[in-house]
Amino acid sequence: MTVGSSESSDAELVQRIADGDNDAEAEVCRRMAPRIRLYGLRHLRSAAAADDLVQQVLLKTIEALRASRLRDPDKLSPFVLGTCRMTVIDQRRTARRQEHLLGEFGGALVPASHEMPQLDGDRLARCVQALKERDRTVVIMSFYDEKTAAESSRALGLSEANVRVIRHRAIRQLRACMETVA
Amino acid sequence: MTPGGRACPQPIDDAVLVDYWLALLADAEQDVVEEHLFACDECGDRLRQAVDLAEALRGIARSGMLQVVVDEVFVRQAAASGRRVRQYEAGPGQTVHCTVSVDDDLLFARLAADLSGAARVDLSWCDGRGVERRRLADIPVRGDAGGIVLQESMAFLKGLPSATMIARLLAVDAEGAERVLGEYTFEHTRTIPGPPAQEW
Repeated sequence: MTVGSSESSDAELVQRIADGDNDAEAEVCRRMAPRIRLYGLRHLRSAAAADDLVQQVLLKTIEALRASRLRDPDKLSPFVLGTCRMTVIDQRRTARRQEHLLGEFGGALVPASHEMPQLDGDRLARCVQALKERDRTVVIMSFYDEKTAAESSRALGLSEANVRVIRHRAIRQLRACMETVA
Repeated sequence: MTPGGRACPQPIDDAVLVDYWLALLADAEQDVVEEHLFACDECGDRLRQAVDLAEALRGIARSGMLQVVVDEVFVRQAAASGRRVRQYEAGPGQTVHCTVSVDDDLLFARLAADLSGAARVDLSWCDGRGVERRRLADIPVRGDAGGIVLQESMAFLKGLPSATMIARLLAVDAEGAERVLGEYTFEHTRTIPGPPAQEW
């Protein structure tokens, strides 16, 4: 997808940054930060880690653009995505080292996560409880964590495709329920 | 909308966005989704809505507040994540003495039964006189699993007075005829201080 006429294109921003335009740098940060954060949430599963990723990737990006290291100005988005991927790989290496140290010194050093869902949890719980038994099981196992999500089809004796159909039907029902329940 | 304000010409399907968030996509498909998300804020906004719902559902799944049939992987993951898990096991015809404490996070009951050949299985909860109080219809089972694992609602159990509860696993055929696969008696003793929140 490309930008429309009302905003500078990615390529234009890249060129302006190479020419020393600070406003263009701010626009790249405004444009890319939400995308980087979403990537970080998906791969790092932590809001704090995702925020750190945004800072690291934007710093690397601006540094590269100031130095005109992006050969094709139209490829800003792929460049930022690639930087995200490399940064997350580096972070995982660091995390593995930290896990090793935690194993040595104890898990009590890890603070509890306090990320709060934005939806009305009580209302959603009532909607989940109202699902059919099979659908409720699929939803609970899918969203508990990645391991149980991947295992849910085997546990239920269903095909992965069947579990996927059940999961998405249940999600549609939950969305409808959340809109109708007072 | 894309950054320029135009609608996305090829929006990613909601189901794919949810699978992306759950890490259930193949690598190649995941790469395509991420390339799209880095160029399309409209689909990014829809993913954020999916994430909000997913995170809320994760909170509910981990709360132990719902009655739901799960499996051994789920129980292992719950225990490994540091939750305080209480577990009971019962074979057909057995009586189990059980309780729940304030500190318990999750409670699982394993009900052993031969489920092979059962097209549909219901779980009926009866009081001490055998009168049905609740029924979980058409629960998910695997014929060769040798039983089910039920997560009981902590909100329900922590508010429960001392009571006798009888669980019956029933095979239900296409005509609605029922066959008892197993009957299990739970003698629940309330150990949490204060009056119970509800009657059984």
